[in-house]
Amino acid sequence: MRLFAFALLVSAATPLAAAANPVTQPSKLPADWQAKSKALFKAAIEIPTVAGRGEHKRAAEWLAEQYRAHGWAPTDIQIHPHKGDKGEDAFTFFARWPAAKPSGKKPILIIAHMDVVEAKRADWVLDPFKFIEKDGYFYGRGTSDDKQGVIGTSAALFKLRADGFKPNRDILVYYTSDEETEGNGARLGAGELRQLLDAEYALNADAGGGAFRADGGALGFGIQTAEKIYQDFKWTATNRGGHSSRPRPDHAIYDLTEALNRLSQHRFKPAMTETSKAYFTARAGQEGTSALGNAMRAWVANPADDQAADAIENSELETGTTRTRCVATMLEGGHAPNALPQKAEANINCRALPGTTLAGLQAELEAIAGPKIKVVADGAFKPSPPSPLRADVLNAYTRSVRSLYGDATPIIPHMSTGATDGLFFRQVGIPVYGVEASWGISPDDERAHGLDERIPARAFYDNIVHWQNLIRDLAGK
Amino acid sequence: MRRSVALLLGLLSTATMAATDPRTVPTKLDPAWQAKTRELFKQAIEIPTVHHRGEMPRMAKLLGDQFRAAGIPEADIHVMPYEALPGDKTVALIVRWRSPKATKKPMLVLGHMDVVEAKREDWKFDPFVFREENGYFLGRGTSDMKNGDVATTMAAVKLMSQGFKPNRDIIFFYSGDEETNGRGATLGASEWRNLTEAEFGLNADGGCGSYDREFRPLGCGISTAEKTFQTYFFTAHNPGGHSSRPRPDNAIYDLTDALKALQAHRFTPMLNETTRGYFTKRAKQEGNNALGQAMRRWLANPNDGQAADEIEANPLEVGLTRTRCVATMLQAGHADNALPQTAQATVNCRIFPGVQPKDVQAELQQLAGPKVAVTPDPNYIGLPTPPSPLRPDVLKAVTQAIQAIHGPQMEVTPVMSTGASDGSFFRAKGIPIYDVDGSWGISPDDERAHGLDERLPVRAMYDDVVHWEMIFKSLAG
Repeated sequence: MRLFAFALLVSAATPLAAAANPVTQPSKLPADWQAKSKALFKAAIEIPTVAGRGEHKRAAEWLAEQYRAHGWAPTDIQIHPHKGDKGEDAFTFFARWPAAKPSGKKPILIIAHMDVVEAKRADWVLDPFKFIEKDGYFYGRGTSDDKQGVIGTSAALFKLRADGFKPNRDILVYYTSDEETEGNGARLGAGELRQLLDAEYALNADAGGGAFRADGGALGFGIQTAEKIYQDFKWTATNRGGHSSRPRPDHAIYDLTEALNRLSQHRFKPAMTETSKAYFTARAGQEGTSALGNAMRAWVANPADDQAADAIENSELETGTTRTRCVATMLEGGHAPNALPQKAEANINCRALPGTTLAGLQAELEAIAGPKIKVVADGAFKPSPPSPLRADVLNAYTRSVRSLYGDATPIIPHMSTGATDGLFFRQVGIPVYGVEASWGISPDDERAHGLDERIPARAFYDNIVHWQNLIRDLAGK
Repeated sequence: MRRSVALLLGLLSTATMAATDPRTVPTKLDPAWQAKTRELFKQAIEIPTVHHRGEMPRMAKLLGDQFRAAGIPEADIHVMPYEALPGDKTVALIVRWRSPKATKKPMLVLGHMDVVEAKREDWKFDPFVFREENGYFLGRGTSDMKNGDVATTMAAVKLMSQGFKPNRDIIFFYSGDEETNGRGATLGASEWRNLTEAEFGLNADGGCGSYDREFRPLGCGISTAEKTFQTYFFTAHNPGGHSSRPRPDNAIYDLTDALKALQAHRFTPMLNETTRGYFTKRAKQEGNNALGQAMRRWLANPNDGQAADEIEANPLEVGLTRTRCVATMLQAGHADNALPQTAQATVNCRIFPGVQPKDVQAELQQLAGPKVAVTPDPNYIGLPTPPSPLRPDVLKAVTQAIQAIHGPQMEVTPVMSTGASDGSFFRAKGIPIYDVDGSWGISPDDERAHGLDERLPVRAMYDDVVHWEMIFKSLAG
């Protein structure tokens, strides 16, 4: 579930001076590696790794073949089977590049996912599982979520190895095949395979990323350091019911309705995290002296200024960034049109700030719902500690992006309101940083999960350069 | 769509005699017929005749077999297949008990074999496992209305075994979709009219007697007017989106706002001749208490809305002073983690005789507001029906039967039914119908039709057989 940083950044009031169209600028990746990585990308896109199509094994074995061909020992490559969406066979891919000059530092883990969201031929202009290059773009399902991440990181490692780079720590790669559905591959990695994947931190190629305006202004690049907690709750009202010709004063649907009306009015307490402080500081710079920019500055200056936080939250660009949000997504009630309901139930979907506890969230929802509503958490609570803003990672990311796109390119740490595989590793104490540098033109290229998904060819190639930069920086010094 | 049994027509203010628990009074049905009745009731309850479950042919065969065994020729037993709700293949059963020497036009006996949905998880016991406990029979359909099916069938079978010869044909009509869209009754009153043509009909779907918790008889109401049944849908639409970024507008909250307005809304009070007679009698019973005074104030001045509101607020009088509409079902959303694109509530209305369903729709639309569309259920368009003039022979037969079982304190009075039943389709097509079933219960504890843990006093089941025997003898002997 990749959430490009685009949507967060489109409102920039003071974009950089217009430059040439970024899509048509030459990439810094040498031509021979452009050809090699394009061939890899084509092969990956043309394996339709949609849940239920039985292609996950082929994808994992194809990856293993590529890693072997580029110098990885067969003993450093593993494929782990597990159950994915609706019990189908899923496979995670693991590869280790052992430190050539061990420094004693713990390994770095690189994560991404091979599976893609369903894409129907009938809905697309182009065949979603045929790799097509057209007008400076690569088209196909997975070109922006997240095969560009899998191939970007793999091609970077292949080139580093070919260039004779000697890592001073183990570099581990772990690609899953059910990120878009169950996340069982990530659970396996953070659970049973915890020792195998033990790393100082993980770099996630399924988060981060940048955006440009069509006229060339860089809107900025995001580094994802936190994810909100996903948690559903069932709100249930029960009643003895009866015949609808004789309505009773107490009524399950109206009890639920009253509770939902309170929920629709409720606003959780704003809270500033280390990530959001850095995020809003950077965003305030972009927004300038607009009302939104002023609110951001006011909140950063005084995290107790709830009014400022409310003004930020009300901007549709920033929804969910200042606090926990819970919203009603499903309703079901009653058993017959001519009977008073015995039960009415709502699904309340919460995206809680990192650090939120189940007990705290449950208590707050119960207070909103009132005594007539039973509030039950649906699904296991998955806490999400924010990853500390590490200077080495942030600096490596900033240096790499600016070396590619100029020193004035805004770098913005942010928290995802959605969830990725990274969540599972954060839970077991491995900090995760979403450090992709692939990008698109906002909003035209925001097509992950949507129709005619695409990526600028230059963004794909430059992302390979970027991952080489990161690895050289973090595992070579 | 059975009317509730509580009609409160008894001698509340004057009934000071020590009363006996009516559930402990021995039944007048002899033990051999008790056993037969119980066995048939058990079998009937254990066939889950909920719509779309395909069980109706089994139920029709069970009842048809009783008539067959008692000597009704095959040519007079008709199982009529038809489709009720889309995809719900069901049947009606029509049985003609011929008079050897008819001196009068035929008489129709109406019932329905289907029951309202009952969910195992909502009930204390399996709703489709017949239980006898503490003087009650329990299970879905014990009061609505497999009791009436069993009582009318057993009464006929018993009379046949005793050699009783009716002086008019008695036609038994048991429909298979009274609780959903009444298609069977519609067909019975039109296309199948050659099998159902009758001078008048008696509906076993509507018991008339009840006792209060002090075991005082509350009376027996025979409905001669009925409210019009019409279901409407309240529907809200929204573009939806990702639930991690809630929008200010939300289909569920638009709907819950409309339901809040519906909950608070009261339709204009109305009186007609039947209810005027009813409240005149009730005012006498209530004497000088607050309820009695409100009734007198309202009768004296039908524009005294406050008096009508006081009456309506009394749990025993709900639905008798005006049109009532209540939310009965909810459905919204398509995924836990997506903002809802559609939210819909089912709103069930019981419309005062003489009021057009279109006008009610306009009133509902007004209060629902512009964000919620109000549309009638296309599967069931309610037909306002004329009152059936009360026949002296029917009133006499019912009064005799009721008072033979309950004593003279159980008064019989014409009333307006707040529910609607199959009877309305025959009334609309010129066959007067009277709801005269003899089952009874303790009000309000036993009012569980369509609700949870539906039940019927054991004695009420057995006495109902005696009740129908007396009615058949009186009106066809």
